Amino acid sequence: MKLARPRAGRTGREDDRILPLINVVFLLLIFFMVVGSLSATDPFPVEPPRSINGEAGDPKDVVLLIGEDGRLALDGAEITGTELEAAVAGRLKSAPHPEVHVKADGGAEASAVIAVMETLRRAGAERVRLMTVSTE
Amino acid sequence: MNFHAFARPRSWPIARPRRRRQLISLTPLIDVVFILLVFFMLASSFLDWRSIVLAAPSDGAGAATIEGALLVEVRGQGLRLSGRPIGLDELEIRVRARLAENPDQPIFVRPSAGVPLQRAVVVLDRLSAAGAERLSLIRDRAQ
Repeated sequence: MKLARPRAGRTGREDDRILPLINVVFLLLIFFMVVGSLSATDPFPVEPPRSINGEAGDPKDVVLLIGEDGRLALDGAEITGTELEAAVAGRLKSAPHPEVHVKADGGAEASAVIAVMETLRRAGAERVRLMTVSTE
Repeated sequence: MNFHAFARPRSWPIARPRRRRQLISLTPLIDVVFILLVFFMLASSFLDWRSIVLAAPSDGAGAATIEGALLVEVRGQGLRLSGRPIGLDELEIRVRARLAENPDQPIFVRPSAGVPLQRAVVVLDRLSAAGAERLSLIRDRAQ
């Protein structure tokens, strides 16, 4: 078998050979841009509980993070339990439907999470959305 | 019919553009696109988020609101519906029957101390599958 040696020096022909590669890379780039959702990284790792049912939807607006060890973070900034009520009340003051998305760790103690939810209630949240991740 | 009439004449006015020597090489472009690709692959998340809507528990949820509500206790060993031990499947059947009579039936889920949130979520998941809409998580007052 005789293979033709690629001719050097002619840049046009060289570019032709990598054009399919660029096409594929562009397609991958557009795929990841459209399908993936960019989100700010959480201040501490949270492994959300798994569920089958529930409404679909990303956590947005007022997001409260509850770590496995009970650490709290409101919209990406760590916060202590004593500051929480005032901070959430300030965020919810102008909202027509006060709602807080709670992203709690699946390994956190349930009664500790409920204690935080009671604080949210005092701060004026009518509904709490407990965020989970689909198992499917 | 003369098909040769559609054949391309030798001297087609729009000739293929002659390849000119490119001033800009494609290699830097590919570098940038690769870097963007890697960035989006690493930064994007594909988690399929779900949410369970709960009425916020209040400290004042005393005997008045708990009256007439179904109480599901999530204990370390198992579940209890209104004080009686029950399995997860049977719970769903019982709650479904109650909701058929009264669709507005409030349901309280009370995890005991030391129960991880995941177990409470499994129960909430089953209850919302049974059609419960007024779900609440409450805390054990005795602790």
